[in-house]
Amino acid sequence: MSLLQLMGVTKRFGGLVAVNDVSLEIASGQLVGIVGPNGSGKTTLFNVISGVFFPEEGRVFFDGQDITRLPSYKRAPMGIGRTFQIPRPFGSATVRENVAVGAMFGTLGHQLNVNKSLKIADDIIEKVGLADHRNKLAGMLTPVEKKLMEIARALAMKPKLLMMDEAMAGMHPNDIDQMVNFIKKITQEESLAVVAMVEHIMRAVTGMAEKVIVLHQGSKLVDAPTKEALQDERVMEVYFGKSVEAL
Amino acid sequence: MRKKYLPIIPVIIAYLVLFLVGKNVSGTWQLVATLLFYCALGQAFNIFMGMTGYVDFGYVAFMGMGTYGMALGITRFVFLQEYGAVIIVIGFLLALLMSTLLSIAVGAVALRLRGAYFAIATIGVNEGFRFLIEGARIWNGSEGIIFMSQLNDILGRDAASALSTFWADVMVLVIAFLAALTTLLFMRSKIGYALTALREDEDAAKVMGINVTKYKIIAFITSACFAGSLGAASWALKTPYVFPPEVFEIHYTIEAIIIVLLGGAGTLLGPVAGGLIYGISKYYLSIFIPGFQLLIFAPIIIVIIVLFPQGVVGMLRDYTKNTVVGRFIV
Ligand SMILES: Nc1ncnc2c1ncn2[C@@H]1O[C@H](COP(=O)(O)OP(=O)(O)O)[C@@H](O)[C@H]1O
Ligand SMILES: [Mg+2]
Repeated sequence: MSLLQLMGVTKRFGGLVAVNDVSLEIASGQLVGIVGPNGSGKTTLFNVISGVFFPEEGRVFFDGQDITRLPSYKRAPMGIGRTFQIPRPFGSATVRENVAVGAMFGTLGHQLNVNKSLKIADDIIEKVGLADHRNKLAGMLTPVEKKLMEIARALAMKPKLLMMDEAMAGMHPNDIDQMVNFIKKITQEESLAVVAMVEHIMRAVTGMAEKVIVLHQGSKLVDAPTKEALQDERVMEVYFGKSVEAL
Repeated sequence: MRKKYLPIIPVIIAYLVLFLVGKNVSGTWQLVATLLFYCALGQAFNIFMGMTGYVDFGYVAFMGMGTYGMALGITRFVFLQEYGAVIIVIGFLLALLMSTLLSIAVGAVALRLRGAYFAIATIGVNEGFRFLIEGARIWNGSEGIIFMSQLNDILGRDAASALSTFWADVMVLVIAFLAALTTLLFMRSKIGYALTALREDEDAAKVMGINVTKYKIIAFITSACFAGSLGAASWALKTPYVFPPEVFEIHYTIEAIIIVLLGGAGTLLGPVAGGLIYGISKYYLSIFIPGFQLLIFAPIIIVIIVLFPQGVVGMLRDYTKNTVVGRFIV
């Protein structure tokens, strides 16, 4: 059984169809890259999965449960974690407190008190390499540090599904490689499905994803193992053709 | 005591010093009582406004409820007068019950609104409630309730007078302290983490698994209960009457907002600092330039808030970070 299943999901904003009849499945422990040009609906898809928006049509299943209209705060304890394209740290709290919030209200939240959550936070902060910034206010971090902090915060939730919204944009290539390795490692350790959504950073997709889903103007264009997907003509066209024409 | 509860110490010291000054320096009790009132007001309001970032312009209505609760307790239960002070306890219970009920009613509707919409909705609550009481002649309508004689019957003349000139203020002190203690307990528990998260970013908090409505309502009801007790102690017991226009007077809400902002929203020690600064300045300004105090006061407050957007305690906390003193300032 798949961990996440979308069936014919459509999300509109007024007349604009941001996500158009998308069906997809993601298995437990699978690394998936969702790619597509700006405005193709990747972030909206994440918002529908995490419950920020409810879709107009279609159904969303997680762990065998229909969560289509479940409030977002009930999805996190089920194991859905995410980061935001534009980081949304709890600015007046420290990095440590931010990450501890993840543990406190995540899948193990009911059995973790504040102290235990802070310990978990310390552990994860160390792993993502933010140990030096532990007691800094999250609002004072650099954009890249904020993204790392968000990954740590989402990991502290012990999610089954982690959605990263352009988490590696703006990072140095070496850091991206490091991050990719780190994520691969925790995916295996924690059997966590990671949906990395990377837009331009093919390096991260090719280095990490087992399968790639390509979105184009809200519709799913390709859903295939990474190698196949990258050889697909339509992908090339979406990525390069349009922009060349536009020149 | 566990290390994380150390910050309660400066709060205890501040209230203890205030009390001792008022008790031992002749002629200062009036001023001390006023300061305690403002500290308690700030401390109670801070639990909601400071910790959630929501501004409730109808906050004084909870103090009004508390005042009515005590008034009804005393006037309706006066037949139990042989039990004396038990009736005061009943009054406090009614005050808590009524402010809780009103906060649930207001919260269930208004707390679903965000930020400014919430603020605007609450302005209506206070005025609407006052007109309801007056118009529908609830609890004696606009004539209010005067319960001086019942209070004298219950406690005896001397005790009743000691209550209104001294013990009511001591109760305010206790309320201020309990509100501070609650604030610290919240801060150190999941509730505090949830409130910080939702204050900073409500949508992100939700996605992190936080039932934001639940935590906002917890803070709202707690804050309302302290406001209710404060109304019961400081208004009903100090001056044994209640008139709708006086207890639904919006300027107390404005004062609460100023105190919280001056001291530092969401900090533990902020309401003490804000209450003292506000109370002392107001007291002396009204002596030296009676009638003009607002004219001078408003710009001073604006300047302070612009210079220290974090409030006095917020600034102090940043300065003392990573020092021994810093451990006591939150
Ligand atoms: N909250 C919103 N309100 C209105 N339109 C939106 C909103 N979010 C996204 N959109 C629109 O939906 C489309 C898809 O956007 P988005 O999901 O952000 O794409 P991507 O993440 O792939 O760049 C865009 O045209 C965008 O303008
Ligand atoms: Mg996007």
